[in-house]
Amino acid sequence: MIAAVTGLTVEVDGRALVDRVSLRIRPGTVTALVGASGSGKTTTGLALLGAFPAGARVTGEVTVHGTRVGHVPQHPAAVLNPARRAGALLRDMARQQVRDLPRSRRRAAARQRVARALADAQLDDAGKLLSRYPHQLSGGQQQRLVLAQALLLGAGIIVADEPTTGQDALTTRRIVEQLAAVAGRGIAVLLLSHDLDVVRALADEVLVMRGGRVVEQGPAYRVLDAPADPWTKELLAEPRTLPYADSGQAGTELLTVEGLTARHRTGGARVPVLSVDRLTLRSGECLALVGRSGSGKTTLGRCLAGLHRDHTGRITLDGTELPRSLRDRSRAQLAAVQYVFQDARAAFDEHRPVLDQVARTAVRLRGAEPREAVARARRVLTDLGLAGELVRRRPGLLSGGELQRAALARALLAEPRVIVCDEITCGLDPVTRRSLLNLLGALMSRQDAPAVVLITHDLDTAAPADRVAVLDGGAVVEEGTSEQILNAPRHPFTVALVGASGRRGAAVRR
Amino acid sequence: MKRLGGYGPGAAVVAVPLGIALAGPLLVGEPTARAASFTLDAGHRLGTDFVGRDVVQQVLLGGRPVVLVALAATVLVYLVALPVGLACALTHRRWLEEVLMRPLDVLLAVPSLLMILLVAAAFPPGKAGLALLVAFVSAPDATRIVRAAAAEAASRPAVEALRMQGESWWRLAVGYVGRSILRTLAADAGIRLTGVLYLVATAAFLGIGVAPDAADWAVMVDRNRTGLIVQPWAVVVPALLIVALTMGGNLLVDAAMERRTPVRKGRRT
Repeated sequence: MIAAVTGLTVEVDGRALVDRVSLRIRPGTVTALVGASGSGKTTTGLALLGAFPAGARVTGEVTVHGTRVGHVPQHPAAVLNPARRAGALLRDMARQQVRDLPRSRRRAAARQRVARALADAQLDDAGKLLSRYPHQLSGGQQQRLVLAQALLLGAGIIVADEPTTGQDALTTRRIVEQLAAVAGRGIAVLLLSHDLDVVRALADEVLVMRGGRVVEQGPAYRVLDAPADPWTKELLAEPRTLPYADSGQAGTELLTVEGLTARHRTGGARVPVLSVDRLTLRSGECLALVGRSGSGKTTLGRCLAGLHRDHTGRITLDGTELPRSLRDRSRAQLAAVQYVFQDARAAFDEHRPVLDQVARTAVRLRGAEPREAVARARRVLTDLGLAGELVRRRPGLLSGGELQRAALARALLAEPRVIVCDEITCGLDPVTRRSLLNLLGALMSRQDAPAVVLITHDLDTAAPADRVAVLDGGAVVEEGTSEQILNAPRHPFTVALVGASGRRGAAVRR
Repeated sequence: MKRLGGYGPGAAVVAVPLGIALAGPLLVGEPTARAASFTLDAGHRLGTDFVGRDVVQQVLLGGRPVVLVALAATVLVYLVALPVGLACALTHRRWLEEVLMRPLDVLLAVPSLLMILLVAAAFPPGKAGLALLVAFVSAPDATRIVRAAAAEAASRPAVEALRMQGESWWRLAVGYVGRSILRTLAADAGIRLTGVLYLVATAAFLGIGVAPDAADWAVMVDRNRTGLIVQPWAVVVPALLIVALTMGGNLLVDAAMERRTPVRKGRRT
């Protein structure tokens, strides 16, 4: 045992973030803290580093025996200096460690240490990457760089905070392999995650947290395969497998994309990032756009909604061409295609109550009187499970899942024909995710249901859709019914993607 | 550095010059007969000035023009900076941004005092003219700051969400972006007021926009400096009042900023 937490309680303003948590960490093992957002995982993880929230009252004991604790945060960019190249800090640290060597041998020794740390963190192409700035690295590379820094310092414990959140299946598998390799070298890993597939693949010991308390703990095989606590059971429940829309409901062609080429401005040049020959969405159906980050799926969604102006080609709704930019779209056209943003918190004005913001859609796009609009907003929000005083609050006081539902309500008030949902379940824990997707399903089973474009990197989320379009490198590489894509993929990229997510996808029932 | 608490110190420092500037002309009473220049006799508590007027009366009268011109100029600056800055931040038309910003950039390149002197030499201004002139040379700075702060706020998803709802430009610009940049604006307004006060006082000191014998703190400092050795009060008192006004203003803005700083909550995961 190299570290132990005993009876840890962290209180802020009289509210317990962490309540009497005890855990032990042994070398070479992976201990997973599992739980929904706000369950106290991060607070517990940071306690191992001796970091606590400002103004917190802490009781209990944290002991670390003769080693350092490394931390790989959820957003690794936040701990990298944006003004220095990736390799600079690594070299500084290595030089510090070889100071007692004779001057002539220092440089070589330092270089060797850096190389070893990079290899341990599985950062390939290290030579090229080290001369880049952090913002020129992908999220995964940033994460590995931070890991390399921790390994170079000789950390015996690594706290990995949500390492796979928002990553596609292929990247997730890499991260799993990399953490397994770290543990294989005798380093203890404390994994904070709500991705149960990752926990299943890695963890030796699992602690399930809820509201700051550990509700269940034990060896991974026991907790995950024979959970005793009802909350653990709910966390472990299978993802939604019922189709979102009733099959056969899909009607005529509603939205058509033809010859679309979208560009991004990088530096001075306009680089094409997406080209789609033809893609159609029929009324009442759910089309999932699947791909890795950077594959162009979000850009495609933004083109549909008029948020990405720089594109050529035709997007038609009911046979009429939609203007490229939403600034040129009429109110009816705006109302017809609505967009739900990935980061619900950033998509709300933090100064105004949620209800007022949601109701504005009905005022602006449906010509409703303000009072009538608020009444309609109340109705839709209640349908989505947001009732009472909660919606009178400002966005800062709502949870991520609640805000995402409010964002959905805001789009629904426009009575749209098409809703584009951009990674709306990204960063939500399994329980919240399932309830949001169930809401989407309930919504689509109605008579006048809008068609849904569901942008996601998660095949579990895509599986219940009617059709799936797989994007890679800015092109649609394969398109078909979700059964066909998930069970009999043809394109090599789809095969790799489906393969990486293992058991998923096979369970869709029709 | 240890932080001074609350609005107290700033309010105390600014209250004296502001009170004198605003209420002074009401308290001044009948002008007294002129005495000899630069004397310190019993009839005049702070002595007399360069033409033998009572310094107390001149101080009471001389604040209003300085303060009013500075305030008017600051308001004028933001009347230009806010619409132009917000329009630039929210437009996607590059040419519009160029058309609006380039002329201001040219203006920015000319030293502001030089500009004031040049224009004043060609068209001698009055008080209103001075306020306009000072606002004219201060506007480019303020516009750039408004635009930079607003551009960040305008690129947030919240603005796209508002556009998706079909909100008007006014709601976007004032309701969301304007509100989001309030802190930056408050900080800038504090500096701007000080800068404008400095320009107004300097211009008055150089005799722009005011009569050479006008009751004006800045003019007093200029005209009475010949008698500084004999009768220091006629220079020291108005100079101190101007200093107190700028310093107190800055302290007040600082205190307001501290109040508005939100308590950062830790990330929950």
